[in-house]
Amino acid sequence: MKKKAVTLFLVITSFVLVLVGCSGGADEGSASQDGKTIEFMHLWPEGSSAQHHKIIEDIVADFESNNEGVNVEVEVLSNEQYKDKMKVLSTSNELPDVGMTWAAGYLEPYVEGNKFASLNDVLESGLQDSFVSGTTEAYAIEDTTYGLPLELNVAPIYYNESIFEENGLEVPQTYEEFKQVVATLEENGVDPIALGNKDRWTGSLWYMYMADRIGGPEALSEAINGSGSFEDPAFVEAAAKIQELTDMNAFNAGFNGLSDQEAKSMFMSGQAAMYMIGTWDLPNYTTNEDVPQEFRDSVGYFKFPTVNGQGDQSSFVGGPGVGLFVAENSDVKAEAKDFVSFFVEQWGERSVQDAGVIPATKVDAESMDLPQMYVDVLNDLNNASNITLFADVQMSPDAAEVHLNQIQALFGGEITPEEFAEAHQEAMTSEE
Amino acid sequence: MSVNKVMSNKWMIAFYVLPALILVGILIFIPLGLSAYYGLMDWNGIGEMEFIGMENYINAVQDMKFWDSAFHSFLLAFFSTLSLIVYLAISMILASKIKGADLLRKIYLIPMLLSSVAIAQLWIKVFNPSNGILNKMLMGLGVENPPAWLANPDIVLYAIFIPILWQYAGFYILIYYAALKNIPESLIEAAKIDGATPLQIAYRIKLPLIAGVVKVTIVLAIVGSLKYFDLIYVMTGGGPNGASEVMASYMYKLAFSTNDFGYGSAIGFLLLVITLIVTVIVRKLTADKEELQY
Amino acid sequence: MNRLGYIFLYLCLGLVAVFQILPIVWLFLFSLKGNREIFAGSPFALPQEWKWENYLTVWQGGIGTYFFNSIWITVVAIILTSLLASMATFAITRMQWKLSSLVLGLFMVGLMIPIHSAIIPLFNMFLNVNLIDNPWSIVITYTAYNLPITMMILLGFYYTLPREIEEAAIIDGCSIHRLFFRIILPMTTPVLSTIVIINMIYNWNEFVFVNTFISSDQYKTLTVGIQNFIGQYMTDWGAIGATLIISLLPILLAFIFFSNKVVEGISSSAVKG
Repeated sequence: MKKKAVTLFLVITSFVLVLVGCSGGADEGSASQDGKTIEFMHLWPEGSSAQHHKIIEDIVADFESNNEGVNVEVEVLSNEQYKDKMKVLSTSNELPDVGMTWAAGYLEPYVEGNKFASLNDVLESGLQDSFVSGTTEAYAIEDTTYGLPLELNVAPIYYNESIFEENGLEVPQTYEEFKQVVATLEENGVDPIALGNKDRWTGSLWYMYMADRIGGPEALSEAINGSGSFEDPAFVEAAAKIQELTDMNAFNAGFNGLSDQEAKSMFMSGQAAMYMIGTWDLPNYTTNEDVPQEFRDSVGYFKFPTVNGQGDQSSFVGGPGVGLFVAENSDVKAEAKDFVSFFVEQWGERSVQDAGVIPATKVDAESMDLPQMYVDVLNDLNNASNITLFADVQMSPDAAEVHLNQIQALFGGEITPEEFAEAHQEAMTSEE
Repeated sequence: MSVNKVMSNKWMIAFYVLPALILVGILIFIPLGLSAYYGLMDWNGIGEMEFIGMENYINAVQDMKFWDSAFHSFLLAFFSTLSLIVYLAISMILASKIKGADLLRKIYLIPMLLSSVAIAQLWIKVFNPSNGILNKMLMGLGVENPPAWLANPDIVLYAIFIPILWQYAGFYILIYYAALKNIPESLIEAAKIDGATPLQIAYRIKLPLIAGVVKVTIVLAIVGSLKYFDLIYVMTGGGPNGASEVMASYMYKLAFSTNDFGYGSAIGFLLLVITLIVTVIVRKLTADKEELQY
Repeated sequence: MNRLGYIFLYLCLGLVAVFQILPIVWLFLFSLKGNREIFAGSPFALPQEWKWENYLTVWQGGIGTYFFNSIWITVVAIILTSLLASMATFAITRMQWKLSSLVLGLFMVGLMIPIHSAIIPLFNMFLNVNLIDNPWSIVITYTAYNLPITMMILLGFYYTLPREIEEAAIIDGCSIHRLFFRIILPMTTPVLSTIVIINMIYNWNEFVFVNTFISSDQYKTLTVGIQNFIGQYMTDWGAIGATLIISLLPILLAFIFFSNKVVEGISSSAVKG
């Protein structure tokens, strides 16, 4: 017994000594002698995003076979875990060579901290033309682009055609008509709109559209980036209109405590007539075999109505989703840039056809066999007069946190539209 | 050989304490020190850090949001401590010699095996305002507008305590049960012969004998509550509008979501200091005279 | 107590028991449904279509490796924690030295650190000693972070051990190691079983450390397997349910086993006590 205990003690102390011991001098980089390794981190796990995952696997395999001696090491995490891990890795200056980033507010501190490499050279080599205009700009700071977008989404209002029919309703073109639709549905005991506002950005979409229609896209963009003001009467009115809707019980009960997924399932089980979400959800209403055909056939979408006769219906809230970055301190930077460039080229058509993603690169809808709803959305995107980037993506994380909390409070009736505007302005000014 | 001499052999003491102490020292105290140090920095966790002295700590003390979250954490600690009484009563029943106690005990402890992911999903469904079991039951009983449990800022905090208290029941029952079973049977038999009722035995004999364990659980309940995070983060994300924010979720948001890594670290360190102070006070309050000599 | 009282007591106990067992039933049904039914239907309704393929999906997601990793990491960490915590508690409560209460205080402070404060410094430390993406970083982290709570639980029991035992043993010429390993440790079997159960649950369900320190698939554990089904915009809850059920089984069995030990150990210690 004694011997065992002593051995154990020795094992443990030596273990601990190794831990404390020499910290420096750990061999840097994973490049082996005869090849180079690109570390690539993404957030499309096989279990939940099988097609995305498969496309990436194929692209990686193709890239490896085209580039002798280059090896791509993939790590997959789920959305939330991905963001946490990025944070941990960045504190230790250990970002993967290639990874995924969000636009604007998320990207900014990484650029300021000199963590992401400029991708201007990649774009200038001809890639720029393949992107839908306006998408790479969301990843650019002062004319330097740091991310290559992979998705482009806008948020229309999806609606259940059979519920509309049963209640004798038509797609509303104006806010007055929209309120009429809401009132009729509510009278007939159907939840008009499914909203999961625990996630907060979901409610933000509604507010943004309202603000866009009343105040116009330029003023909204200026308010969000701090050069304008949320105290503009148009935006206070937008907030008041939101409370008008909540007072009419336009949204399902207890929306502030429900996640987007719970709201989605209300819509998809016919408990609510309308639901606003990004076009990333299109597969659910078109190709997803797990959703009953009957339901998929009865879903349509419409654009947010005009308000007070103002606003342009082809102005959208949306923007690029995730994009690829290359780490500034990568020791295989050249290879990593080749990889992201190759990735973007391969991604476009495959992603829309196999995974139902609307890519940020131009696709030729005519030549592909796509469900009608995709064709319509792609058309709308082509004819869009404006796409305002999601407020919480555009703002700095601090301001976004204030915005999102205020959205919950506004929808919950805890604050007045004036207080809502005030709180935003305060957060925006404290930024500078 | 004298007992005292053997039991105060320095080498032996080192041999028994050091492995655990070194491990805790390196893996807990160094990170703790570093986190206090990051608290002195203006750092978003990405770029360069800049030394700003006590600024983060001063801001934290003046931060109403932090104190709100601290208040919520204290409420949780208070309710957790109170619920120990219930856990203790259940454990007493389970440890007594009633039929089927063994099976019942195992069943009672099953929920504690579930991970937080499962518990959160279960209770999200219980609390669902229109389809949830709870509100369906209430509506069945004739309540017209049952509350939206997780959406109402006045209720959400209390609603979310229920699954937390439920989640931890098994943990404390397990500890109490082992403690109660450790009481020599002879003591209880003797009391019975003297004509003591089961309640008297529980209060006069069992409780004093496990007092040490009970004190430890009080500390565990308070410390655990003050740094609690899991279910709240999954079920409400601290919302709506901060109504269910607790210290640890606030700290997490600052450090990981809003890029205030330095400030978040300062809050994390304050959390520890507050917990430490509360623990010391509680230990003083619950210590009896003999124990104070330790 | 009279008969009516007993009936009432059992009624209450039975009711609570039903309440406690329902979550398992719910989780099982959950694991056989698709997203739509999970969210829209009643939680205890039988699945309209029994989606056994959820289990197949999980199995194909490479859960085998995760399973194996979870088991060995959990077991090794439990052994280390129980042994080190028992040794330290023994020294603090039974041996005589001036600094004992200070050292105890240090361990207690260890109880109070929020893990999200620790995670980034820890990552940095492991990075410096090349322990990132190495399962041993997980093992020692679990051990260290469970030591304080384990010691707290042990503490109350060690204080109640009668002094006469060790006095008698040492006067008989017993060494300290012999006293600890042969007499004290066996006497604490009930509480050891308790801490094994508690450590098991903690280690088995932990994911923050694994997610942060491990990047290769071959070292990940079951809780990370769940992440596989959480997508950017969509989450496959049925498959998560199936993963949860699969991961529940081994600890349920271990729990029943150790739960019996909580009782069994007593007879031996009661005799000695």
